[in-house]
Amino acid sequence: MNAHAVADMALWFRVQAFLALEARLQDDHHLTDWLALFSDDLRYWMPVVTNRIGRDLGKEISAFGEVAHFDDDKTSLTNRVKRLQTGMAWAETPPSRTRHLISNVEILKVEEDGRLEVRSTFLIYRSHLEYEFETFSGFRHDYLRPHQDEWQIYRRDIILDQSVVTQKNLGIFF
Amino acid sequence: MKSHFEHMLDLKWGDLDRRIFSDPQIFELELERIFARCWLLLGHESMLPKPNDFFTTYMGRDPVIVTRKADGSIGCYLNMCRHRGNRVCRADAGNARAFSCPFHGWTFSNDGRLTNVPGYKEIYLEKLDLEAHSLVPVAKIDSYKGLLFATFDQHAPPLLEFLGDMAWYLDMILDRREGGVEFLPGTHKWLVHTNWKFPVDNFIGDSYHGPVSHKSAWVSGFEGMPRRKSGYGYEGFQVNPGGGHGFGVRWAENREQVFEMSLPEFLDYEKSRLEESIQRLGDLRGMHFSPMHASIFPNVSLLWQGGAIRVWHPKGPKLTEAWGWCFVDKAAPEAYKREKALHMVQRHGTSGTWEADDVDNWVQCHSSSEGYVARRYPQNLEMGLGDEIEDPHAIHPDIRGRLGKFQSEINQRGFYQRWAELMDDTSVPAVPDMSRRACQKEGA
Repeated sequence: MNAHAVADMALWFRVQAFLALEARLQDDHHLTDWLALFSDDLRYWMPVVTNRIGRDLGKEISAFGEVAHFDDDKTSLTNRVKRLQTGMAWAETPPSRTRHLISNVEILKVEEDGRLEVRSTFLIYRSHLEYEFETFSGFRHDYLRPHQDEWQIYRRDIILDQSVVTQKNLGIFF
Repeated sequence: MKSHFEHMLDLKWGDLDRRIFSDPQIFELELERIFARCWLLLGHESMLPKPNDFFTTYMGRDPVIVTRKADGSIGCYLNMCRHRGNRVCRADAGNARAFSCPFHGWTFSNDGRLTNVPGYKEIYLEKLDLEAHSLVPVAKIDSYKGLLFATFDQHAPPLLEFLGDMAWYLDMILDRREGGVEFLPGTHKWLVHTNWKFPVDNFIGDSYHGPVSHKSAWVSGFEGMPRRKSGYGYEGFQVNPGGGHGFGVRWAENREQVFEMSLPEFLDYEKSRLEESIQRLGDLRGMHFSPMHASIFPNVSLLWQGGAIRVWHPKGPKLTEAWGWCFVDKAAPEAYKREKALHMVQRHGTSGTWEADDVDNWVQCHSSSEGYVARRYPQNLEMGLGDEIEDPHAIHPDIRGRLGKFQSEINQRGFYQRWAELMDDTSVPAVPDMSRRACQKEGA
């Protein structure tokens, strides 16, 4: 099966709906519900991107295990959510207003046991306090596992397009 | 009669004039009198493992290339073609013997020499002075136990003199184990809308903010080291070694207390390394001092046990680019290095559950300095004024420098004092007019 095999339309539609729900839970600050979409063996990772030329083209994305922007498991991701919910996470008090636009959803792989590899593109607009705003762009490579009638994400690789993060923090989720 | 900048820091009251954070003219003078004069951190030797490796960074607002030359020595040059000024290197890091300007093709070897000019014979008639158009080198480059520094000031004191007793204390990081430290691969870079002095101030001596600023992280599973008792008044010191540098420590009376301050995930490693550290550094630096936060003048900060080191690149009076790395003992096991990187990433840096809250504080403090009325009211730096430890040697005979209580603004005052001294120094700029006409006059 070729890597870009198109799954059937119904599956593609359901995956899109799943990712839209996940985005909405973040934008509406329902982070406890959002966490439930991730499995306990989660790897949530955003590597660092650097500018490379010549022979080093292809090395723009840092390797897993190197210093990353996010390098979380379910416990640390849950703790990040807990922190935001303490009411004392000053950098997100009041919380950022975000809009996660998820697009170009492609099902890259369908395993026999129902696991999926899904790539999607994101454009996230974030507005904080009065004048602080940012657009994050990039893509995600998600690994989904059937769970109840839907899926859980057990691995998410997030590639941010920026080499220098142009806002004060990555204090939201991707 | 006090000179201009000295006057902005009033040590009688502990008042600091907020205009030093927002005035564009002061920022421009800082580029001349602070950043073109001081030794600035480039990175660590471990970032250039092989011949011809390079990385790019900034010294002040000037872009530079740091190269491991073919002979193994390290060079540092302005990342600027001598023709129109284009950047000759657009990569963050890599391996190259030469850098070719993408504009007209002038090519420079990685030791700075201009080796090829298209049309050198036909257009320039072989009259262009190639040697005089090399990449602009720094005046001095040196390393302290792996940390690479450079300065554009040929009259700068040697690096060891610039660091002074801070170097001796930096051994608590750089020399606590055989082999020293390395920087793990991966650099955090992010833009913060604040003046570069706010973060330096925070790291050099602000042990006061933790229980408020970082409470959310602390109670959510992102505890830090050394672990602390809750509340205020616990034991430790702000150490002021002079030179505008400074750091804060907790005090461990004995080995057991060192281990009490360790997070569970690091305890085995702490036990395995402590004797070696005491043997190498003595009991003050090896055991009693459990260092926490520090800044090296002018724009380097670090979190000792957090493994985080930062350079705050000044981009403008209200814009700073933060660069962060994770350092670890080179001799540590791989599993420990990985754990340390996770510890660092989850607390400090771009997505750091601690640092995010710090950054917001600096941004908000800075924005206040922009208001006309607000900046007529000084910042308050009086904590611990007149309340220094009178005889540090009574605490330990090896202590160097001045000591404040753990919660004291002694180090911030020292930082701004050094800043004012350099800003008031009106002698010839480190890098004067470099036009050929001016250089010829000076030669004649």
